[in-house]
Amino acid sequence: MNLRNNRSPKKAVKLLILLLSSLLIASASASVYYSMIMQPTVTITSATIVFATGNDWPSGSTIGTNSTWVSLALKAYPNATLTYDQPLNISNTDAASHNFRLRHISITPATGQSAVGNFTSINFVVQNTTGVSQASFNYTTTGTSWNTPSPTGYMTLPANTQWIIHVDTTAVAGANAVTANLQIALDVQQ
Amino acid sequence: MTSFVLQPEFFALLGIDLFLLLSLLTCLLDERFPKTIPYMYQLAAIYGFGHLLISRNFLDMFGEYTRFWYSFLYLVIALANIVAVNIYFAVLKRQNTISKIWSGAITFPSILVAVYFVMQYSSMQTSMPSIMLQISLPISAGVMGISLIILARPEIIRKLLHKKKEVIR
Repeated sequence: MNLRNNRSPKKAVKLLILLLSSLLIASASASVYYSMIMQPTVTITSATIVFATGNDWPSGSTIGTNSTWVSLALKAYPNATLTYDQPLNISNTDAASHNFRLRHISITPATGQSAVGNFTSINFVVQNTTGVSQASFNYTTTGTSWNTPSPTGYMTLPANTQWIIHVDTTAVAGANAVTANLQIALDVQQ
Repeated sequence: MTSFVLQPEFFALLGIDLFLLLSLLTCLLDERFPKTIPYMYQLAAIYGFGHLLISRNFLDMFGEYTRFWYSFLYLVIALANIVAVNIYFAVLKRQNTISKIWSGAITFPSILVAVYFVMQYSSMQTSMPSIMLQISLPISAGVMGISLIILARPEIIRKLLHKKKEVIR
């Protein structure tokens, strides 16, 4: 163990080489082992939280295969609020409750375009079975800018229950016939 | 919650680390060993690494039973080398102090950790620490700590023994 003898530099170099080699072998082996344990199996099952058509399902709307996506064709009237009481439902088909939230992804026409000024608000309200509001997800405008909503908090959808998406749309007086396309994510915690 | 299951190759990984440890320690104590020994242990560790690579690439070909036994055998060889070095100090070199330190700081903790993981694997438990780990690892750490103190300051033992003798008188 005495490194202060004549062979000290030689021994130190030898030890350093072995140490570096050991580090290399140990880290390479650990990464190989890690790659072995990181081989997950993925089983395809039906989604537990799905969309379902509501009593006020708008004509021209589409619900995707497996009910995992939906395209709602909503209208807005100038200088009036159009209310869709129950265009869409969110259904928990599982025997356990799940948390979900709404999150904004994109909207066109983009902020800055003059067409934005035709809209006043597009408000999505999540209601429980009895119609009590759980969260509001409201798009509003200021001039030609959209005020996009922050994600809602996570809401707990009980097992085998459907909740309602209620929508209110409002356009400004004298609005032109323009179309807004919104993309909203429904995040589900498994 | 997804449970983490110990793969049989973990024993090979443990064996590789033990060979690397042996390589470094025999290099530090090179005046007591043949010059080629540290390199031999490095080669043994590289062999284990190759073994892991082959095991990963042909994972489907070997059953879990086979994978366990060849990995376990590699670990046993690594542990046998640690014990052999211990015996080498005690019997061939007649260096009882180093032999005792080696058994406390290297042999005992290595075997303890190996036994723990083998038992863990055999019961296919998750990686959550069991009561055995909670008890055995602090004991191992304690023994290792004491051994390292003795390694650094062997005169402490002599002083303690000397005091005891004085009290007896």
